[in-house]
Amino acid sequence: MPKSMSVVKQAIVADAGDEVDGAMAESAAAGQVAAGRKVLPIVEVVVLVAALVAPLVLQDYLTVFATRVIILALFALSFDLVWGYAGIMSFGQALFFGSAGYGVALLARDLDITNIFLVLPAGTIIGLAFALLLGGFLLLGRHPSSVIFVSLGTLTGSYAADRLARGWYYLGGQNGIPSIAPMTLGGYEFSEGPPFYYLVLGILVVVYLLCRFLVRSQFGLALAGLRENEQRIAFFGYKAQHLKAIIFAIGGAVAGLAGSLYAFHEGFVWPNMVGVVVSTQVVLYVLFGGSGTLIGAVIGAIIVEGVSFWLSDNYRDIWPIILGVLLLLVILFRPLGLISFVLGERERVGSFGASRKEKRNAAP
Amino acid sequence: MANAFVAAFEILSFGAIIVLIVLGLGIIASMMGIFNFAQGEFVLLGAYITYLAYAKGLPIWTGMVAAPFAVGALGFVLEALIIRRFYAAPIVAMLGTYALGLIIRETVRGLIGGFYLTVPEPIGGSIDIGAMHISAWRFTIIIITLLVMAGCYLLLSRTSFGLRVRATLENPSLARASGISTPLIYGATFAFGAALAGLAGALIVPVFSLFADLGLRFLIQGFVAVMVGGVGSFIGPVAGAGVIGTLSAALPWVMAPVVADVLVFVLAIVFIKFRPQGLIAGKGV
Repeated sequence: MPKSMSVVKQAIVADAGDEVDGAMAESAAAGQVAAGRKVLPIVEVVVLVAALVAPLVLQDYLTVFATRVIILALFALSFDLVWGYAGIMSFGQALFFGSAGYGVALLARDLDITNIFLVLPAGTIIGLAFALLLGGFLLLGRHPSSVIFVSLGTLTGSYAADRLARGWYYLGGQNGIPSIAPMTLGGYEFSEGPPFYYLVLGILVVVYLLCRFLVRSQFGLALAGLRENEQRIAFFGYKAQHLKAIIFAIGGAVAGLAGSLYAFHEGFVWPNMVGVVVSTQVVLYVLFGGSGTLIGAVIGAIIVEGVSFWLSDNYRDIWPIILGVLLLLVILFRPLGLISFVLGERERVGSFGASRKEKRNAAP
Repeated sequence: MANAFVAAFEILSFGAIIVLIVLGLGIIASMMGIFNFAQGEFVLLGAYITYLAYAKGLPIWTGMVAAPFAVGALGFVLEALIIRRFYAAPIVAMLGTYALGLIIRETVRGLIGGFYLTVPEPIGGSIDIGAMHISAWRFTIIIITLLVMAGCYLLLSRTSFGLRVRATLENPSLARASGISTPLIYGATFAFGAALAGLAGALIVPVFSLFADLGLRFLIQGFVAVMVGGVGSFIGPVAGAGVIGTLSAALPWVMAPVVADVLVFVLAIVFIKFRPQGLIAGKGV
């Protein structure tokens, strides 16, 4: 296995070499390459510092809002792993987010379990289990599934879960499960506010660093290869489907963690949380911010939620239309998201390869 | 006996509605290989135009006739301006059409507010057969669906335009080499698919009433139907729509509606997994 890894590395690096030669010809692009080397850590540190000081300068109700945004950023991270790194279009990421939310809500309601060391792992495992089930079914099998089938399959799964949650009396039907007890640590109760904010931020940072380690590892290298050219990776002897199923499950686990935090922060869960609305919302975050960079997903969540919070006061009716127009513009003219304004193409992909933009989304 | 007949009629009329909605979706998916997320909003627009005609005091019929043409024209413009850029990348096409759908849906929501607006049936009343009563308008929908299906089939299989469409579907480069303007064919097909959605919206608005999420309700059912039927032919999506429409209308009669609702989707996904080419494989009519 290690040997084949290094072969991939060489092949992709060789590709990168060609790209560099081409890029050097244009001085503008070359400048971007040279300057682009250090941008990513700077962006990450800026976002982290901003997130750290935010509760100190924000009013209380805004801190509550910021907590929600951080949780959604964690959720966006899970989608970015699946789509931005492995090229699996998951239109049903809310299924894992929401089912974990429902799971911990039921734990709190029926079993009175609110201990943070029990509910958060429980939520993560629920997300992981659902993702393993759905991802295993959609991705594994004798014939590789088409990218269309996977995206529509996940979409359908999320929609079906939404319908089920709406109609199932045990899950509260249309109203969901209201007034979930707060998360506890010993005798301490996490209620909305700065402590909850820093808890969530801490979790986000840890998960972010884990993901960062993951996508820079040999595994991440194989994933990047998968995204760029699945066939070539298969020819190198990788089980492409297994790699996909693994990253899909990891994405589900992260979404589950985010979902359980969200349930406890909001204090209630309702059917939309597993449904298509939230599933597409997370796609928006990542597309806006920039898929294929972890920080892009975080920034996307912050920007979309922030702007919608700010605009919805004054322009409640036309905000969704503006969002649609902006999304269309981003898809048409900035397919790599807002982060691509500051981040060079080579740095986005990382040190082990370069991508061809036009091939990114083409199904093999 | 009477009960079974009424049930059969309900199932048939719902199946007809799904077929009508899926036809346009299937034609676009087969032709361009993209799954149009804005299709539900084309249905919504058709419904909205019919409502507008009614609200302005015109006969409802005028709205229903105008809807397919207006929506088709809009589809043609959108294809030329935006959709055309997505043909190489099916996933980007999904996202792009989703964004388009979002814009249309929210605009209509802004225009009508969060209300459920009713439009009366142009043919009211019921048809009595012995002791049984069936809704005259639903019966009309079934008839129109059959006519539209027959019309589509004849258009594709008997006219020279249909020949060009099939040629472009089968082998675009050869079609181009033979002097067929494939961009024009793509534009026309997209407009035609949008027009069918507009017609569907116009016909169903008296049954379901007008609300902003009207189209969304049918979109996923439509996608599943197209996949079950098989992309690439005219008859495939129609068959898939028949199966999905019949199942989703029939199962609630024998089990809890919630279970039935979910079961249809699960069955469909399992079916597609093990038969990815769908019910009817192959290209052509």
